[in-house]
Amino acid sequence: MNTRQQPSATGPRDPAPGLAVFPLAGRRGVRAAGEVGLPTRAIWEGVLEQAVREDDDVYYLELSGVTFVDVAGAGALAAAAGQLRDGRRFVVRRPPPALRRTLDLLWPGQKGIEVSTS
Amino acid sequence: MTSTVTELFGPLDPFVHPALFYRDEQDYLDGTLPFVREGLEAGEPVAVAVPGKNLVLIRDALGDDAAAVRLLDMREAGRNPGRIIPGVLRAFADAQPAGRRVRIIGEPIWAGRSDAEYPACVQHEALINAAFRGRTATILCPYDVERLPEHVVSDAYATHPTVIPPGSRAEQRSDAYAPEGVVTRYNEPLPPVPEALSFAFDSDSLPHARHVAVGEGARLGLVGVKLDDLALATAELTTNSVVHGGGSGVLRVWAEDGYVVCEVRDEGHLADVLAGRRPVPRDQRGGRGILLVNLIADLVRLHRSDSGTTVRCWFAR
Repeated sequence: MNTRQQPSATGPRDPAPGLAVFPLAGRRGVRAAGEVGLPTRAIWEGVLEQAVREDDDVYYLELSGVTFVDVAGAGALAAAAGQLRDGRRFVVRRPPPALRRTLDLLWPGQKGIEVSTS
Repeated sequence: MTSTVTELFGPLDPFVHPALFYRDEQDYLDGTLPFVREGLEAGEPVAVAVPGKNLVLIRDALGDDAAAVRLLDMREAGRNPGRIIPGVLRAFADAQPAGRRVRIIGEPIWAGRSDAEYPACVQHEALINAAFRGRTATILCPYDVERLPEHVVSDAYATHPTVIPPGSRAEQRSDAYAPEGVVTRYNEPLPPVPEALSFAFDSDSLPHARHVAVGEGARLGLVGVKLDDLALATAELTTNSVVHGGGSGVLRVWAEDGYVVCEVRDEGHLADVLAGRRPVPRDQRGGRGILLVNLIADLVRLHRSDSGTTVRCWFAR
């Protein structure tokens, strides 16, 4: 079998993409940039835990700078949204396609999540 | 939750799972229409998931009654056999009121299923017994005995506890019924690949594995949602390798006919034969990786061996 080897775990490469989180100016919420996956799961879950503890009716998750969210990351979002008291919701702004796809397939109509593409 | 083969294939009652053998359209309608009508008359929820041409036959013959039946083209909904239990059968059955028998016609195997698809198809048929054991449901599986190869019909005797011969409505017990044997026998090594991009990954290089797969998928012609799906599948399978499969694995990506194929191999042992085929309760955290892969891929094949687990996924270009 012929294989083209990519530089792998032991080869030189760029550092793994992280997940950076910033407070939003003027509204309750955060802007995140990077990727949500196994290496950044704890950061993402921390963001969501904090968001659940807030009191405002709407909490913004600005995700235009997030390029990927895996299934566990989508699941953490769905679980956090499920903990919101009635009347509260997350507005998830400009999420990566993978997150929308996973939410549609595995958590259709999840209460507490409003996806906004604008 | 894990389930080994031997624990899963006990008595089915009250689940009923006959194969319906048919030679032509008349046999097909004689075998399927009364099944649907009896269900409707008894107030039972009825779904029909069969290839498009047969779906039209049933729909037209039902006339106005078709509106009361959930109709699905199995060539779409069940293109990946691993999707059928969670995405079609359980999705329908679980949405019905408890206690009432659910009737489904499911035709997952048709003439023209490829050699790559067939082992997944027949394993699916065997696993229906494990997935629906103890449930109040009847799943009737039509087989085109005129056009399907002999070994396919012979396998249907092993995956169904009863069969209905062509032109008959009487269920006969199948003495060859042995679903666990089918699951094992079709756990075939995956065919060798002539040329593929290969990337060894561990926890440090997990994100890179996905980037490599997406880069190669795009180069080989995947676009849009299919490329997103390749990224999701790669992420789930490689993360499984790191978390459950010994901490590392090898990703390979290549083109095959009209598909981009990605494969993840690791040294883990996936004991649960229903992994990725159970709907997951909404409030359960985790356990959805292989389920998602089954829902989005055009075909998923899995090989378990003493040395590890290999999962191969096809995405149409």
